[in-house]
Formats: sequence, C-alpha cells, structure tokens
Amino acid sequence: MDVFGSFALLLAFVCAVYAFVGGIAAIVTRHPLLVKSTRQAGMATCCLIFFATFSLEYLFFTDNFSIAYVVSHSNRDLSSFYKIAALWSGMEGSLLFWSFLLAIYVLSVLVTYRNKNGELMPYVGVVMAGVQIFFLTLNNFVESPFKALAVPAADGVMNFVARADGNGLNPLLQYPEMVIHPPNLYSGYTGFTIPFAFALGALLARYPGEKWIHLTRKWTMIAWMFQSLGIMLGAHWAYAVLGWGGYWGWDPVENASLLPWLTGTAFLHSVMMQEKRGMMKVWNVWLVFCTFLLCILGTFLTRSGVVSSVHAFARSQTSSWFVGFMGVILLVCFGAYLKNRDYLKSENQLDSVISRESSFLFNNLLFVVACVAVLSGTLFPVFSEWFTGDRISVGAPYFNRVNIPIGLLILFLTGVGPLLAWRKTSTESLKRNFGWPLAIGIASGTIAFGFGFREYFSLVCLILCAFVATTILLEFYRGSKVIRARSGASFAASAIDLTMRNTRRYGGYVVHMGMVFVFIGLAGAAFNRNVQKDMQVGQTMQIGPYTMVMQGMDTKPERNYTGQRMLVEVLRDNKPLMMLYPEKRHFETTEETGTMVAIYSTLKEDLYVVYAGTSPDTQLPVLHAYLNPLVKWIWFGGVTVVFGTLVALLPNRRSVLVLAGAPQPATQPLPHAVPSSAALREGHD
Amino acid sequence: MTKVRPLIAIGILLGCATLPLMITPVGAQQISDRAKQVGMKIKCMCGACDMAAGVCSHPGGTFSGPCQAWALPALREVDGLLAQGRTEQQIIDSFVAQYGSIVYAEPPKSGFSLVAWAMPTVYLVIGAVLVIFVISRWRRRPATEAGPAGSAPKPISPELLERARAQAARETED
Repeated sequence: MDVFGSFALLLAFVCAVYAFVGGIAAIVTRHPLLVKSTRQAGMATCCLIFFATFSLEYLFFTDNFSIAYVVSHSNRDLSSFYKIAALWSGMEGSLLFWSFLLAIYVLSVLVTYRNKNGELMPYVGVVMAGVQIFFLTLNNFVESPFKALAVPAADGVMNFVARADGNGLNPLLQYPEMVIHPPNLYSGYTGFTIPFAFALGALLARYPGEKWIHLTRKWTMIAWMFQSLGIMLGAHWAYAVLGWGGYWGWDPVENASLLPWLTGTAFLHSVMMQEKRGMMKVWNVWLVFCTFLLCILGTFLTRSGVVSSVHAFARSQTSSWFVGFMGVILLVCFGAYLKNRDYLKSENQLDSVISRESSFLFNNLLFVVACVAVLSGTLFPVFSEWFTGDRISVGAPYFNRVNIPIGLLILFLTGVGPLLAWRKTSTESLKRNFGWPLAIGIASGTIAFGFGFREYFSLVCLILCAFVATTILLEFYRGSKVIRARSGASFAASAIDLTMRNTRRYGGYVVHMGMVFVFIGLAGAAFNRNVQKDMQVGQTMQIGPYTMVMQGMDTKPERNYTGQRMLVEVLRDNKPLMMLYPEKRHFETTEETGTMVAIYSTLKEDLYVVYAGTSPDTQLPVLHAYLNPLVKWIWFGGVTVVFGTLVALLPNRRSVLVLAGAPQPATQPLPHAVPSSAALREGHD
Repeated sequence: MTKVRPLIAIGILLGCATLPLMITPVGAQQISDRAKQVGMKIKCMCGACDMAAGVCSHPGGTFSGPCQAWALPALREVDGLLAQGRTEQQIIDSFVAQYGSIVYAEPPKSGFSLVAWAMPTVYLVIGAVLVIFVISRWRRRPATEAGPAGSAPKPISPELLERARAQAARETED
C-alpha cells in the first residue's frame, strides 16, 4: 500500500503540472479540448491525492511499522479514533493532509463550475494547480510520508526494517478535540485558496463585473467558518488539556491562525462595498491575496521554528520552500496587479461620511491594524535579534495591551455599522436606530459599576456588548413585527421567516451576536482567580463559593496510558455539589505525561480544577483550582458564530424583499452610477 | 458508649489528617499573589514554552501549574526578594542581569523595544490617515469620473459594462 500511495502522489504531481502548463496553453489558444483536458487533469490530481491519503491511513490502521511515519506517530495500542488523527500529527502527514483538504476544495470547484464561467475557469484552474504543485512537490520530494523505515548497518549501508511496534502518538494530541481541531483549521487555511484563485484569475483575465465576488462568497464563508471553528476548538483544547486555566496564550502558532482570520473577516465585510457600490476593488483583491499569503505564512511559522512555540509537534526544514513559495505568490500578485490595475478602478463616489461605506472602511482599518500588530509582535523577537543581536520576547501581556482596545473598537463598529444606511444616514435614522441601544448600554454599565465592576476594559466591553446585542435584537424585532403584522404568525415564526428571506443579512447578525457572546466571555477574564495547595486526604481548599475536599486518589489503567486521579468533592455554600476527577495520564510508550482538567461549568463561572502533580517538597498531590467567570459564553459564542455562518450560506427564500418597517431607507441609484448586479438582485443587504 | 465511639474515630481521623499540617505548614508552597503579578512580567525560561512565569503550565510536563522546571523556583525567588523589600523593578532587573533581555515577558519600554510599542499606534495612525484620504478622494470625485481613465485603455461606458455584466451573469449562473 505504501508503493501505491507513493505512486499516486507522484502521478498526482504529474497531473497537476499538466493542469498548470496545459491550462496556460488553453488560456493562450482557447482550444476547447485543451480546456477540457486540463480541467480533467485537475480532477484526476485530486482523486490521486485522495488515494494517497487513504493509503497512509490504511498503513496506520494495519499497524505497518515498516513505514517511518507510521512508526513515529502510532503504536498498536492507539485507538482507531486517534489513528485517524495520527495522519496530521507530524510534518509529512500534515502536509499531505493539506493537499488532501485542498483537493476536496479544488475538486468541488472544478465539478461545480465545469460547464460555467468559460472565460474565467481556465485561469482559476491554473492558479489552483499552481498551489497544488507546490504542496505535491513537498509531498513527493521533500517530506514524503511513505518513506520506508531504514537503519544504518555497520558498513554504513541503509537497511530497510520493520519494527514490532511504533513510538505512539504525542499525548497532547490524544484528546477528542485534537481529532477535529486541526482538520477545521486546515480546512480554513486551504479554503482561502479558492477565493485567492478566483481573485487572481479574475484579475489576470480582466473578468468583467463583480461576478467573481459572487462566485467566491460562499467559498470564502466556508473557509472562514472552518477557520473560526478551528480557532475556537484550539482554544477549548488549550483550556481543557494544558491545565493553565486560560484559552489563548498568544503563542506564535495561535497568532498565525488568527492572522488570516482577521483579514478574511475584513474581506467578508469589504466585499459588500464592491458588490453594492463597485468600490474598494483594489483593496478587496489585495485582502484576498494577503489572506492567502498569511495562510502560507501561518504554515511556515508552525513548521520553521523561527519563533519559539509550544506547538512543536511538527518541525522540518521546509522553511526555505515556504519562503520561496510566498515570494513567488507575491511576485505573481504584484505583476498581475501592475498589469491590470486599471481593471480595478472604483465605479462610485462616497455620498456621506456617515454611511455604511465609511463604517466598512473603518472596520477594515481596525481588522488590518489588528492583523499587522499581531504579525509584527509575533515576529518582533526575530527583528530585535537582527537589529540588536538581542532577542526580546513578546508575550501575552503585550498582545493583550495592544489588541484589547482594537477589539473593543471593532465591537463598537459591529453595533454601529449594520444600522448605517448605504450612501447616507439621516439624523432621524441615527436617533431611531441608536436611541435604545445607547440607553441600554449605558444602563448596563451603570448597573455593573454599581455592583462593583471596576475593571476598566471589562466594563467598557460589557457596555458595548449590551449596546451591540440591543442593536441586533432591535433589527430582528422590527423586521419580525412587519412580517407578523402581514402574516399573523407568531413572533418566533416571523423572525425565522425574516431570516430565511435574507439569510445573508440576518445570518450575519447571528454571527455578530455570537461575537458579542465571545466578548462577554473575554470580559470575564479580568476577574479570574486561582489558588493552589498541597492536599492530604480530608483537607479542604476554598475558592469563591466553592469548597473542595480531597477524598483520595485512584489509579485507572487504560489501554494506552495509566491515569492517576484526584477524587475531589465540591461543595457550594457548604452543600455537596458534585465530584470532580482531575487527572494525570502517563503514556508508557512515549514516557510522557498529559493533563486532564476537571471543569464544573456554568454560564456564570467555571470551576476549573487541575491535578498539578506531586509537590517536590512535600510529595503530596497538588490541587490547583481556578475560578474563571463567564468562560462558557466564549464556547457558546463560537457555536453561535458557526450557526450564523451556516444560516448566511443558505439561499434566500425569496430574492427580493423590501420591508416597509425596515430601518434603512431605500437607496436611490445616482443618475450616473451603475448598479451592481448584486444590487439588482437583492433589495438590501 | 456506642455514641462515643464514632466521635473518637472521627477525632483520630482528624488528628491523623492534621498531623502532617504540623510538620509541613499549609501554604509553605504557596506563591503570593504579588509574586505572581511580578511573574507576569517575567518569561518562563524552561525552554519548552513561551509563557509568563506567573501562569506557566509547562504543557505536557509532569507538573502543570507553575512549571517545576523554571517558573516555580523563579516565583519562589521573587517571593524571597519581595520579602527582602526589593521593588518590582529591582527584581525584574535582577532576572534580566541573570538571563538577558529575553526574560522580559513583554518588551521593556526603552531602547529598540520601544519600536514594538510604537508600531501598533503607527499602524493605526497611518491607516486612519489613509482612510481619511480615501474618503475625501471618494467624496470629491464625481461618479462620472469613475472607471478606467487617463493613460489606461479606453474608458468603458456604463452600457458596455452592463452588457459585459449581463454576459458574465449568463456564463456564471450559480
């Protein structure tokens, strides 16, 4: 099966090269047969990558310990569930997994548009094939996952051998979320290849109108949703496994995942400017280019080790390849832009500073500033070493100081932006839309202050959360009221009907509400408390209203590890509440230890209990307890964001909707302005 | 007598439970909140992580909580120095003297590190200036001037653009 996998990868490389070279020839000659054959070569590339990936999984499931990658990342006792995850636990496998996910996207695009967009698709196909060639080069010639296990003999000749068992999987990865976190994050990274291919293809082809934007919208949203979900799952994994009581440590690899998310979010907003008003074309194209480049940069940072990170799962010497690839992409993008920049001229003017257009500009400014600030902070240790010879660390305190104010400004615009009308917002409209939200925001702040809320940023955050949540709820309320008045249906049914009539708009609001929930959770971090104590049986420890009583220890032998648990009884206000079992797992194969945190989670707070090991001084087990307010809101917010994105991906139930009671005035096209095709299709957005 | 027995048993159990407390005072291992605050400004130098010593969990290590390898002894040292009456800055300086500037959890506000602090503000200012410039330019420009012009290829008329759009829409129905 390893030979089959290797051969499939090699053949995939050949097909991708044909799809690339043949695609360029098809663009030049416009020969229909050549167009068709290159498209089919693209599809064949994807199918061959699937074969190769399944071959590697087969090798894991059959415990084939003659393959070096299987030996390094699996063992016989590893459960089938984690044998799936072993695929992406190392460098070679994760690069193949990149190719695999990219192949799913590429195949979906090629099949979906096989008989459409005749002028554009050959360009798109060439760009996608170019990206595939890069990763297949790594898969075949730099980091092959199918290398046989070889050991040097006494005479220096390498002998191929098979081991009886493997080294096992990194314990930190033996956690259910680790099976779904990397695929989601990778699906985000790879998914941004599609909007990149369409943007570059449209620019190269000088494809008329904003059609490429419409075509890529759902692909961008899918990639963004996976990226969001991947980040959220990673944060939850860090919270539940690493045992430090936090969920985001501003580690370079965490930052790397955030960067394309920030520019991708900016793009999802600014793209509306191009759809509705034919503006910001240059900006949008460069946002897509940068998002894709940041995806590659993220992969580079994870692999290269140029910045120190706790994510040291998969390192290799591929950094020069990634730097070279980023250089080529940048050159191609610049070249295409310089050649065809006149194609990107804006079609419209700005009618008023107080308008949706302005809010999008400022929203994009903040997202990009946040992205550049995180990027430069992440790379600052490298810069400081270059310039001064002294490596200066940039840790979480720096990133918090820099990004909290930016995050709050973005939150503010989340509430303001959707309520401003396109072109111009009247004073009456401002009063009508912002009166209640402002009043409720201020009232919430006053109440919180009265209850002793004195952390400045958290207080501002809660005020803004109340403000934004009210604006969103009012939007639903007003729209639903109109539908209810017409149909007589219940309020909930009217709200669903309203959402289904304009899924993009109201799905977007649900996403915004999800972000409000996330910010509520983040605001709680200012009030985290923790306490640690060496515990004997019967001894108690107090944190907030909770009393923890050490009831004993037990040992839980499992197939792949031995777990040692503290048995902790939790009392709330001196009444028995529950038992918690914080655990240490010892993995015999790798001689490594993992942590399993025990969490009692409510919407108000998390009681987060860690068996922190044995004290070196007293030899007693150490219990470390955290009281983390509002953390559950973050996970709830993450789920809401994903749900909102799924809603926004649904097609509208009706294509045209003009509500009498809608807060936005109907926009009158300017005499000289050309309405975009999207504006012709939809009432408002 | 039957009522007394459980009480005696409980007394013995409590006595056993509290005996080690007399030997090892509870809290001997506790790190003060002040030391943890100072620890937030010192990077853990265990070599396996990139966290502040105050919250270092040494992922994957045998002792999560303040990492046994470096952060826990460092926080104890901080506690000791605080007890001697040293100020926060003096303590941080003593760590910097020992490990170099890499021990800062966040860049110090002096020398080249000031660049790190200045950068976000500079980005924001440059970005804001750009946005204001773009807004003022968009506001000045009449709609008729929009579109390819000047030395660029022949301007596209709205009719031509609409025709092209219609063609694109036909080709790209999704």
